[in-house]
Amino acid sequence: MGLDRRGFITFLVGGAVGTLFTPVPWKLADDVSIWSQNWPWIPKLQYGARSEAPSLCKLCPGGCGLSVHKVGKRPVTAQGNKNHPLSQGGVCPLGSSAVQLLYRPARVKGPLKKNNGRFEAISWEEAAQIVADNLKGKKIAALSGDENGSASEVLAGFLKLLGSDDFYFMPSDAQVSQRAWSLMEGKGQLGFDLENSDYVLILGADILSSWGPVVRNQKAFASRKGKFVYAGPVQTGTAATVDKWMPVYPGQEGVLALGICYYLLKMGKSASLKNFGLVRDYILSKYTPSVVEAKTGVSAAQVQKLAQDLVKASAPCVLVGSDFGQGSGAFEWASGILVNLLLGTLNQKGGLVALPENKVITSAPWRSELNQKSFLKFLDEVEQGKAVDGLLVYEANPLYALPQPEQVKTVLEKIPFKVSFSTFLDETAMACDLILPAPHFLERFDDAYTPFGVGQEIYSVAAPVIEPIFSTKSTPDFILEVANKLGVDLGFASFEEVLQAKAESLGTDLESVSAEAYTSDKWLAQNSLSLPVEILATGLETEGEGVFLAPVARNYLGNTKQALTPFEVVVVKEFELQKKDFYIQVNKNTANKLKLKQNGKVKLQGAGGECVARVNITETVMNDVIAAPLGFGHQAWDEFAKGKGDNLFKVLSVKEEKGSGLKVWNRSQVKVVRA
Amino acid sequence: MAKGKSCVVLPFLIGFVGALIVGWGLFPKLLYSEKAQPIRFSHKVHVEDQGMACDECHTFREDGSFAGIPTTEECAECHAEVMGEDPAEAKFVEEYVNEDREVPWLIYQKQPDNVFFSHIAHQDFDCTTCHPDVGNSDTPPVYYENKISGYSKQTMKMWQCERCHAQNGASNACYVCHK
Repeated sequence: MGLDRRGFITFLVGGAVGTLFTPVPWKLADDVSIWSQNWPWIPKLQYGARSEAPSLCKLCPGGCGLSVHKVGKRPVTAQGNKNHPLSQGGVCPLGSSAVQLLYRPARVKGPLKKNNGRFEAISWEEAAQIVADNLKGKKIAALSGDENGSASEVLAGFLKLLGSDDFYFMPSDAQVSQRAWSLMEGKGQLGFDLENSDYVLILGADILSSWGPVVRNQKAFASRKGKFVYAGPVQTGTAATVDKWMPVYPGQEGVLALGICYYLLKMGKSASLKNFGLVRDYILSKYTPSVVEAKTGVSAAQVQKLAQDLVKASAPCVLVGSDFGQGSGAFEWASGILVNLLLGTLNQKGGLVALPENKVITSAPWRSELNQKSFLKFLDEVEQGKAVDGLLVYEANPLYALPQPEQVKTVLEKIPFKVSFSTFLDETAMACDLILPAPHFLERFDDAYTPFGVGQEIYSVAAPVIEPIFSTKSTPDFILEVANKLGVDLGFASFEEVLQAKAESLGTDLESVSAEAYTSDKWLAQNSLSLPVEILATGLETEGEGVFLAPVARNYLGNTKQALTPFEVVVVKEFELQKKDFYIQVNKNTANKLKLKQNGKVKLQGAGGECVARVNITETVMNDVIAAPLGFGHQAWDEFAKGKGDNLFKVLSVKEEKGSGLKVWNRSQVKVVRA
Repeated sequence: MAKGKSCVVLPFLIGFVGALIVGWGLFPKLLYSEKAQPIRFSHKVHVEDQGMACDECHTFREDGSFAGIPTTEECAECHAEVMGEDPAEAKFVEEYVNEDREVPWLIYQKQPDNVFFSHIAHQDFDCTTCHPDVGNSDTPPVYYENKISGYSKQTMKMWQCERCHAQNGASNACYVCHK
């Protein structure tokens, strides 16, 4: 009996019917549905014990203590450390991104060497040999963006032993205040005891959004004993939050300070300055109420009221700082210090305080000495022919975050050997010959000694909370390794030993200080201060043409070191960025004057460059001022930051300040043309 | 006519029975691959010979979450170095303790991430109500991995959870297990 077509079909039907009485169709349907829920790209939970590890945020110089939450060995989120004096349980937008940044696409995954314009992977041994070969007997400079970590001390000490004084910090208020304080013959590092003040007048510094130890500033504000008043050109986070916002033209906070000094002097106040008579006469004759009113936009009556309120307060404090954290000069700082001296708040509870210094690397200069030097002046020297064979860049991105970055790039091209120790593929790393990535700060030992702006000596150390994910190496450890190859002895075998020595120099130890920050209430008494009158002349200079530009720094848009983080992309507001254009902010009066329309495309033209933006009309900016955010316009990094908006640093114009020799760019003016 | 009839019934039966054989006999064998645990862990040695209690290794954490299988670090509290003669122990020390790696144990009852199963809420049940009786085994049972879904053959399905909840008067609301 053969199997005909009919029989075969019947066989198939029998098979199909039979299959329905088996688990095959039902089990397959179920399994396929489960399979479709488990694509390989769907993240899987990792289970483990929950724990918290103390750490230290190194994303800005604020020095906040973090509490890193872990599941098993893996960090999952960072919150403020409740036991740390600078965070007190709080965290800023950057700090809250700390864990996610471990996995930021822009991370450099291992040492890279540029070969014919392309980067290729090399080993750490090869990297150390290349660096040693290129440093031996050469003229080397270094730039650091870590203004309070011992890593900078190691780098500065290493350079000194190589016979170089060319160690620089990225520009900041820490640097400018130190320069002004040294010109006044002051000792130590300036700080503000905000916690104990009952009247805080903030001149320029956006202390609640981006300036100094932001979280600590916010905590001090939250538990304030009296009033906080802010003077600045834009309704920043600080202006919008404090008790009173007083609009002042950009970069004129020093003039306002001297305007207050005028009234204080008229009230008979004096300061213990060697040349007090000279200073008093100068201010009373030059910074008259009408001059101050014209320069600052603040009426004489308002200035007088400020002076009276300060005198009435029992612990007043005048905090001076750059509107966007950098670019001001010794003038603003000397003026701000002078108000405090006239109020008698120096080294008083709630006032301006002078904090001690510390170092353990014998060959390294003191931080106050390093802060006297300006990287922009170094760039001038290189442009004029100073021979420099190599540049080491640590935690800094000068090709993005210095005024006129294109010109900076041209100058740096003259240096034949450049090494970036960046954790991320930033603009500067892209232009270097070697990229030797430092671990993310959660993967390494690091520290912060008395961050600028705080009112007490504080030392915090963080031990790694996770093993390095990529092939990275702690930069100070790498420097110690290279030093060893070159036969240079810094006195320590590892960075951990440096931190141990620093902790011991403060009478504690590494383990204790890793668990809880060291603090002291030591303030340095000052012997004889003076104030060179020529510094005070800066405020009387006539302004150039154009409209005042008020750059605004906001932590959630990134800072000079870190580009807009993946976490924060969603909080960028529609009036800050639309597609590829970022927004400038002007008020209605200014918009009418400059014939600007809402959403209109414009070009800002500065002395050294231009950038494109759109216009947002808002009453959060004072008359005749253009406010614009820093943080956009990255050309490197990753899809979260690259190609979004334009870089405002391009239009900032740099001037040399008379008296201090500092470079300043807080009074930049721009022309606005339709694009 | 009769010839035609027999020609229809027989192939149908052959197909029907053949499908039953394939579906009930062959299909399960094809669907699952047999896997052995990476280390032949003997519960017997630990429980009977060493007198250890279950909760010395399978603990609840302070927050009530269940630690599951101990980590290499916890095992290394005793097995930092090879203690006995068993080659499985030597392999564990060499490949996992010395390398500071976690053992990729195969979990017989592993639930997907969207299921929130609390062991502490079920602690009144005997472990073997849900788990195979590994506690008395010298060699861990064979692990059957579903080649399509990737899960263990013994992973409990939702209807099993629901049945037990219903029988015990526990809520079957979605959020009880799916957070």
